[in-house]
Amino acid sequence: MNPDPSKDNTVNITVGGKPYKASPGQTIVHALWAAGQAQAISTGCAGGVCGACTVSIRFADGRKGGTELACRKTVEEGMQVYPFPVDPMPSKPPVSDPTPEKLREVYPTLDRCTKCESCTHACPMDIPVMNSVLRMQKGEFEQVAEDFTTCIHCGLCRAVCEDKVLPHQMGMWVRRSMGLSYPNPPVVPEPDQKAAAEWAHLMEGTPEERLERARQFRKEGGLGV
Amino acid sequence: MMEWAQDALAGIEASREGRLNAAFPEMTPAETSALLEQFHPDFKGLERTVRVGPQAGELKGLAEVADLLEADSPLPGEFAPKPDIETDVLIIGGGGAGLAAALALQGTGLQVLVATKLRVGDANTLMAEGGIQAAVGPDDSPRRHFADTVAGGHGHNNPDLVHRLVQDGVPVIEWLTGLGVHFERDGDLSYRAKPGGGTSVPRVLSCRDVTGLEIMRVLRDAVLHGEAKLLDHHAAVELCDDGAGRVTGAVLWNTRTRELTTVSARAVLLATGGSGQLRLQGFSTSNHVGATGDGLVLAWRQGCPLLHMDSFQYHPTGSVYPEALAGQLVTEAARSFGAQLLNAKGERFIDELAVRDVVASAIIREVEEGRGVTTPPGRKGVWLDTPMIERVKGEGTLAANFPGLLHRFGKYGIDPTRQPVLVYPTLHYQNGGIQIDTNGRTAREGLWAAGEVTGGLHGTNRLMGNSLLDIIVFGRRAGSSIAEHIPQRGPVTLSALIRFREERNRLEGLPERPAPWLFPEASGLRFALKEAPTPSAQMPGTSTQGGGGGSFEPPDPFSGR
Repeated sequence: MNPDPSKDNTVNITVGGKPYKASPGQTIVHALWAAGQAQAISTGCAGGVCGACTVSIRFADGRKGGTELACRKTVEEGMQVYPFPVDPMPSKPPVSDPTPEKLREVYPTLDRCTKCESCTHACPMDIPVMNSVLRMQKGEFEQVAEDFTTCIHCGLCRAVCEDKVLPHQMGMWVRRSMGLSYPNPPVVPEPDQKAAAEWAHLMEGTPEERLERARQFRKEGGLGV
Repeated sequence: MMEWAQDALAGIEASREGRLNAAFPEMTPAETSALLEQFHPDFKGLERTVRVGPQAGELKGLAEVADLLEADSPLPGEFAPKPDIETDVLIIGGGGAGLAAALALQGTGLQVLVATKLRVGDANTLMAEGGIQAAVGPDDSPRRHFADTVAGGHGHNNPDLVHRLVQDGVPVIEWLTGLGVHFERDGDLSYRAKPGGGTSVPRVLSCRDVTGLEIMRVLRDAVLHGEAKLLDHHAAVELCDDGAGRVTGAVLWNTRTRELTTVSARAVLLATGGSGQLRLQGFSTSNHVGATGDGLVLAWRQGCPLLHMDSFQYHPTGSVYPEALAGQLVTEAARSFGAQLLNAKGERFIDELAVRDVVASAIIREVEEGRGVTTPPGRKGVWLDTPMIERVKGEGTLAANFPGLLHRFGKYGIDPTRQPVLVYPTLHYQNGGIQIDTNGRTAREGLWAAGEVTGGLHGTNRLMGNSLLDIIVFGRRAGSSIAEHIPQRGPVTLSALIRFREERNRLEGLPERPAPWLFPEASGLRFALKEAPTPSAQMPGTSTQGGGGGSFEPPDPFSGR
């Protein structure tokens, strides 16, 4: 759509070196769709949560570029976009009693971090990746699990890490391990007879009768049987 | 941002205090029906009877869907399948249902192959935000969950499927937490449930507003550790059968190399998901790129009956501004936390926690009757007063519960803690689909189906949180059923397709565009074989044209440090 018909609405970008004309407000992915070149960057959800469309970007005005999701980044004049696909990799199997020692056992790379912060800059979800890696070293797993809540496992933090520290995979290991460490709350058993009588009422009859009973159940919390 | 709407925003700001705690009356069933019939897209009379296939002359489908079902296969007439890969189980689709089935087949000794059009996990499951239903609360029960689901589905649900769904609710939550999935809990570790549209008690469990992402990434991680083989970038374009009504494999199309691969399988599970990218009636969609209804087409040509193909869910709150977010989901949880819907005059117009088709219809009514807000690019919508959440539940509530929402809008300079967002219904969910039994079995031996591709469970309107439960319950059940009833290997032919084509040839005026589409219309991506290259199929980096401005050397990815 045209945000303001009174203005010149062409934005020139290049993707993988090829020039494209785009409209202001368009994401890189949608600019490529409009140009009939959808295959130039692989796409998954086109909603910023699958991490398939990772790209690196350079700006015309000399601002620092970096990594982005092409489905989230809107086009800018002179922007140069390069596909930067990162293949998914599984993390190590989780444990139900995570400790820093156990993490180091499966990820001996943990202490290789040189605090360059590339991972934090690369993260399209604004996760404080490097700080979280430092927390992993100290075993602050509650906070680590929190930090990686919105991680989409695009793999960019891993791809840009010169020291191969594998942040998002450790994040997954910590999250899954923490998840395993919480017990399930007890399930309160239901009174059998009442349940059986109510089920019989709900399942029997015509669809109209069922709908009527469903409405009654919602209102009264039961069927009086 | 949103300077163009400053006056409206100021008005909403000013009226917020007065709207606090004001309950909106629930509508009677008669009022609800009237609203739906007048404004819901399902009632526009755009459906027609499908002319070819197992329910020819009987099945009513929305015109675009009928076109899809009547379409020819993209496979060339001379193509003869010869198995390139042999597996015991072929799972088509790498979303929640497919991976739940793969995990259920773990340790059975059966060879499992998961073929997926995008990558494993690039699916609607990942995009689900609000949560998953399970009757965990003290005042709740599977019966109450059943009653809410049937009332929400207007009574058109298959009661046996709903019964299975609600009975498996708590066990599924325990299974997921056993894989390491996080759900919000209270101090005593009991699950924290929130209300959803149409739930009579709080029943929606969540992991912030990224519940689907949490479930999907854990399932994917678990599957990557397992024995199943994965085949990314392979779209199923046709199912194969033994010539006597049993499904025995599939023809896959490699979306990268554009070559065909035939798989021979003893059992096939269709877990291909929904169809939002058909963009029915011109609606935008909250769905991922691959949601083009492929599974419906494949099952239809095999003779499987479909249900409710004239019923689709338009999620009430798809984003309308900025353009980059058009159609994308603003979770229903925002409304369960207290966000109100307001028209251009700043007035409320509906109980925000009515079921989805009702809320969507009310928003469409406001816009059609001239009480909508128009964005500078020309989209129309109504306000969702997200700052009300902070006012009702306390400052910091959005940051603590909606990190995804804040991040998504924050990227475009919009802060939902301080300003409302603009929303309009977006094509979200395929209510109907392939008819199955409680074990995911279809009408054809050798073929199972699970998840959004199936129909009957949700009736004609799905409740929030029931699809995440659906895919895990029925994905796992289909997996177990396959393990128990797997047939012997059979011959791999295209008999069903040949019969379908003969049937088509007897009719005139059928749609010309082949199906499944595989990709959205707007993407321009189409099925094409390697032998017939098209200019658009050129891969990046192989271009000899060049000529872009400036340097062609890729930038240093470390430059951000």
